[in-house]
Amino acid sequence: MIKKFIHQFASPKTFLLQVERSYSFIFFTSLCIYVFSIVWGLLFTPEDFVQGNSYRIMYLHVPASFLSQSLYIAMAVSSVTYLIWRVKLAAYLVIAIAPIGAMTTFIALISGSIWGIPTWGTWWQWDARITSTLILFIMYLGLISLHNSFSNYEKADKLLSWLVIVGAVNIPIIKKSVDWWSTLHQSASITLTEKPSIDPVMLYPLIGAIIGFFGLIVCLILMSSKNQIFIREKNKSWVKDYV
Amino acid sequence: MEILKIEFLKLRKKTRIWLGPILVFWLIMIAYPLTVELLQDRLQIGFFSVLWIAILISMMLATEDIFTEDYNDGSLEQTIIQESSFQVGIGLKVFVYWFLIGIPVSLLSFIFSFGTTQNFELSLPIFPLSLISSYIFLNIFVLGNSLSLNKGSVLGALVTMPIALPVLIVLGKGMTALQFDINFESFILLLLGSLSIIIVLIPIVVSYIIKAHLE
Amino acid sequence: MTDNSLIIANNISYKINENKLFHNLSFDIKGGRALHIKGKNGSGKSTLLRIILGITDPTKGSINSAASLQICYLGHKNALKNYLTMRDNIHLLQLNNHIKLNKYLDLIGLKKHLDVTVSSLSFGQQKKLALLRVFLNSSNLLILDEPFVGLDDDTHEQLTQFLSNELIEGKGLIFTSHIPCQIKSDLLELNN
Repeated sequence: MIKKFIHQFASPKTFLLQVERSYSFIFFTSLCIYVFSIVWGLLFTPEDFVQGNSYRIMYLHVPASFLSQSLYIAMAVSSVTYLIWRVKLAAYLVIAIAPIGAMTTFIALISGSIWGIPTWGTWWQWDARITSTLILFIMYLGLISLHNSFSNYEKADKLLSWLVIVGAVNIPIIKKSVDWWSTLHQSASITLTEKPSIDPVMLYPLIGAIIGFFGLIVCLILMSSKNQIFIREKNKSWVKDYV
Repeated sequence: MEILKIEFLKLRKKTRIWLGPILVFWLIMIAYPLTVELLQDRLQIGFFSVLWIAILISMMLATEDIFTEDYNDGSLEQTIIQESSFQVGIGLKVFVYWFLIGIPVSLLSFIFSFGTTQNFELSLPIFPLSLISSYIFLNIFVLGNSLSLNKGSVLGALVTMPIALPVLIVLGKGMTALQFDINFESFILLLLGSLSIIIVLIPIVVSYIIKAHLE
Repeated sequence: MTDNSLIIANNISYKINENKLFHNLSFDIKGGRALHIKGKNGSGKSTLLRIILGITDPTKGSINSAASLQICYLGHKNALKNYLTMRDNIHLLQLNNHIKLNKYLDLIGLKKHLDVTVSSLSFGQQKKLALLRVFLNSSNLLILDEPFVGLDDDTHEQLTQFLSNELIEGKGLIFTSHIPCQIKSDLLELNN
């Protein structure tokens, strides 16, 4: 029952048509939200009492860091879906997300480094969060190189899914272990359960930036999975008709 | 038990497989003092870091071709067909490797620690720590090697290195705890706990991965 | 499932990277019957054997096997350790029936080579050593991929004789071969 539903819903063809229909809407909406929030955040919010203007890089840093981990979780969910229900689309998604995950993690690391220079006086510190983000980045690279080293797609999909799942088990462990190091990084300012410790004036544009950035990344993923579908199903008649 | 005998029989004739990693460990531990000025107190500063990294690297080398031979000559297919639980076979194989490589390396760790620190009380716990951590590393790299079966061991090491890093962190923390004598037992327990989970989980995952390779 | 069917294949199809190897194959193997799979190179003979063995999953369809099924398989890869002696390899194969073992070692003329490492045996001798697995099997279904390749006439004859006897004893047999042989069998021809 579930299997049938998933297979129907997740046929690459249906997916592609849905993407075609909604892509431009998602893209322009999130672009507007992101640009609006950035402009708001950069031009119309006051300087930070301690950090001056440098804190404004958080409109890039925070969304990127947030997504670097969320994307991994998304990959893990897709991997489980693929291994249990053999949904091909899920396998395409896993490999479509990997490079984008690596990219956002890289952005998070670089923007964090830049932010670190004026505020901490150093661009790199072997601190808990930075280290775990770096490890995450290496994991993404490992996933990509593993998938690239096989010419048989189905084999590559299965191996990749297993590695993603083992890696997902490992993420909390990485966090836990590096948390034991004394840390320089501030703790999260926004959590779901507690009242934000950030001033509302800065909070709203930040939330906007996160949502906008999220939407833009989703668009990237849609494009990249569309690519995967074309590569993998190029011999299917509907793809030939489509192109 | 038959599986154990078979693995021992194979390794007895392939000394390179288990002697190589032990010698590499030895080499690193001898090379370390040569790169530092030979002052006892300076040696001690980085000694344990080098020790853990040497264990990590020797375990990485130990697993280099752990499944390649059986894959290439068709033994893995035969094992799967016979259905005499494949996971257990993998677990036992890792155990044999640990027995032949992990235990000697752990003994050497103890000897080198004592030689460097001249402190018996500090060096003795190094033995169980090395035993446990070498077993964990072996399992992790076995996972990596099963993933990159037939594609060379560098790739396998790369993809599983992030999983091995937390163990290094815990080991580093554990050494600090040992030196200042605070709560050292909890680190041993933590590592033992992780090991007991890994020993069960990794062979299961690896068996699925190898089946995917054979398809 | 009928009483003495060992394996039943229902409409199995197999595709690799979107290339169809075969489509909607159905057959069943009963005890005492042999199935000879024929086809050109690359037509999917070995793949079909691997699907029957359960190593590879078919893209569509299913394989049902009897609960009592015990398979003895010999493929292209002979599962021999070429750095070990013949004696050690026999030990690895866990062939513990010494009377039978001695009989077949004599029959195929390998007895004098027991302490020679496998790598210094000829291809044909290695093949014979691998065949010991078949001769001493305790299974009820034999699956052999090109068993006659590399064998001299005598051994070819002995293997044919042996397999025919196994069929009489009620075991099943599935094999691929492009070398003609005298085994009474049903034919399954693969052509895309």
